[in-house]
Amino acid sequence: MRSRVASWFLTAVILGSAGIVSASNIEDPRSMLEQMRMAMSQMTYQGTFVYVQGEDVETMRITHVSDEHGVRERLVAVSGAPREILRDSNGVRWVLADDHSIFEDPGFNRSFFPELPLDQHDETDLSYTMKVGSVERIAGHQARNLKVLPRDQYRYGYSLWLEQHSGLLLKWELVDYNRKPLATLMFTDIRLGSEVDGNELMSTSQLKKFKTTASKLPAGRGHTIKTPKWQPDKLPPGFRMTAHRYFGQESEGIYEHLVYSDGLAAVSVYIESRKAEGGVQDGISKLGTTHAFSRVTDELTITVVGDVPAITVKEIAEAVGIAAP
Amino acid sequence: MSKETREHLSALVDGEVSRETSRFLVRRLGADDELRATWTRYHLVRDCLRHQDGSIAGEDLCARVSSALENEQPGTSTRVLRASWLKPVTGVAIAASVALMAIVAVGPRISGMPAAPDNVANQPQAEPFTSPQSLTAAPYSSQASLAGRSNSQSQKMNAYLLRHYQATGTTGGKGFVTFVPIVITRSASGVEPDGRATDSDSDVSKDEEATSR
Repeated sequence: MRSRVASWFLTAVILGSAGIVSASNIEDPRSMLEQMRMAMSQMTYQGTFVYVQGEDVETMRITHVSDEHGVRERLVAVSGAPREILRDSNGVRWVLADDHSIFEDPGFNRSFFPELPLDQHDETDLSYTMKVGSVERIAGHQARNLKVLPRDQYRYGYSLWLEQHSGLLLKWELVDYNRKPLATLMFTDIRLGSEVDGNELMSTSQLKKFKTTASKLPAGRGHTIKTPKWQPDKLPPGFRMTAHRYFGQESEGIYEHLVYSDGLAAVSVYIESRKAEGGVQDGISKLGTTHAFSRVTDELTITVVGDVPAITVKEIAEAVGIAAP
Repeated sequence: MSKETREHLSALVDGEVSRETSRFLVRRLGADDELRATWTRYHLVRDCLRHQDGSIAGEDLCARVSSALENEQPGTSTRVLRASWLKPVTGVAIAASVALMAIVAVGPRISGMPAAPDNVANQPQAEPFTSPQSLTAAPYSSQASLAGRSNSQSQKMNAYLLRHYQATGTTGGKGFVTFVPIVITRSASGVEPDGRATDSDSDVSKDEEATSR
């Protein structure tokens, strides 16, 4: 117990010395969100959590190590069929052990898809209302609640419980515009720093014997043109473009990936020539709380994916057209 | 485990089940590993959702249940019961062609009809949001269902999904939470032979219903 307290304290000191924590702004919503972002990416932690969505209940385990080798992460389902996500600088691998299969997407330079810092995104204030709540005890730790509620139906809201010293997320609740809970995630135990067993980063499956399927999406530096050739000419309030990648020649088939964000929610817009291998089927799709909408034209397939309500991906996809010169 | 059993178990956790059903479930709990795991999870979830202090139904719960069974029915062949109920918790076997269909299509789309779910298009909008006429979408001539989606189409959608998560994972500071939906996917368990995603359909209808209010 003493070592766990020491770990929290040490983490708080480290983050504090980095200027992340400041006593004066600890209850400022933006500071809390920034602290959470830093903690989630830069801390080393390991824990078991329960995830509830509708009738589905899953127990999962996360191991997140951040050290001189970069960030390595393993997310594994403890209950049900063995499934896991392995993530490191080489990319992300989605392992389905029952099927002896792996689906992977190669890594790429983070600078390709820079995050729009919250403090530079004034629109966030227009898109959400934020309120700092009370302190509760979660998984044996003191956590302060932060409510981030959407002002319209184009985005989800969040109720976050952040460990008081480090800002690490201990409980997360996704809500819709009407404040109805859509999904809940909550840690039941969590370890930090030296308490983390790095061996858990290794999959228990014999991955070398599994069949690996690659995403086949361009991942290299590619060719970036100054402005997108295709883009939505209308966007939901608060969203703006944060990244744009363009690959290929028109004669060979194009691939364009645009990312839009309101500071908290993010949406990807994919535009591909229909000559590209593997098409998509038009219509709306859903995975958990992630929605996708595809349009197929004579020449192009347009797919919008985001952790946003269905209406958002649908309307963005329908607004895509040739960019104004 | 059947939906009925899950409902009974949930009711038992909340103390809202008949005495007869309660006795039946408790007897099963003493012998069925899967049921016991679900029971523990339900307790955990209940505690979580009630914002309690994180304490969970401890490991000793089932020991107490087993003990109670022993005391209640001395001489009952618990070993025989255990043998008949015990099943390996192997999870859901997922065929290769299905496993990669992570994104499940919701609702049929018929030519000339709005995209499913219909009420998405009919929702009141907070602010004006007009769609341009720059592109003409192809007619909606096929059903957006798993059955109608080829393996390559599914893999393309999965590629988009993984790339999206990877490219935007740090947005909003959610970190690993971004990847949770893809790990909880159990396509085979939620899909009927005709390709409709039963659970997901109901989720969508609830989701969109709430959104449209």
